[in-house]
Amino acid sequence: MGIFSKLFSKPLDEISSPAAGEVVPVTDVNDPTFSEEMLGKGIAIRPSEGKVVAPCDACVDMMFDTGHAVSLVADNGAEILIHIGLDTVNLKGKHYTVHAKSGDKVKKGDLLIEFDADAIAAEGYDTITPVVICNSADYKTVETLTGRTVAAGDPVIRLGK
Amino acid sequence: MKQFTYTVTDALGIHARPAGQLAKMAAGFKSNISLDTPNGKADAKRIMGVMRLAVKKDMTVTITCEGEDEEAACAALSAFFAETL
Repeated sequence: MGIFSKLFSKPLDEISSPAAGEVVPVTDVNDPTFSEEMLGKGIAIRPSEGKVVAPCDACVDMMFDTGHAVSLVADNGAEILIHIGLDTVNLKGKHYTVHAKSGDKVKKGDLLIEFDADAIAAEGYDTITPVVICNSADYKTVETLTGRTVAAGDPVIRLGK
Repeated sequence: MKQFTYTVTDALGIHARPAGQLAKMAAGFKSNISLDTPNGKADAKRIMGVMRLAVKKDMTVTITCEGEDEEAACAALSAFFAETL
């Protein structure tokens, strides 16, 4: 049984962490848009550094002009949304510096956005950063690796078709 | 086919949260639902597609519902736009 499932199951598509920090379940995020998985399944990172990098080779689908969020279409087909902080659309770009634009081809680890986490927190915003798969419904399994501290580039989501 | 137009009044436009809400509501209907905007057109059931349009305040959008439950879909989405955007 094990042999056959290994032979016939496709390898999982891996999404790595776009930021260093503590990885928690997206259901722990204090915003129903994310915790109820309205935007997709995934994880959230409590960032320890103000940098977001590409979580895999991908095309930048939409760099929000406010820099608080970015969506990517991975070369493997995953549609990924990275949202830096909660309700941070209200900051209208303050404390965010973008390093990529919509349509850019990026490699895993390429810098996408820098942000001033202390300044964002000082304005009263939670800097937790959800990373969700908007096309979760296209996958049979969305495995999340939570409850640990990671460096940018460490695996955090595995997608099975 | 049923459709309506709406001019966005919310200062932040269709950002991540409203895009998710819209796609979730649209996905609850069997009809094909499209969102036509000055920035292009998208399937309203696809979160990423809706977000990509970056709809801002004062933009006029057209929502078209086509299918067996188009009447109900159009009514629900029209109420959603009026309340949320």
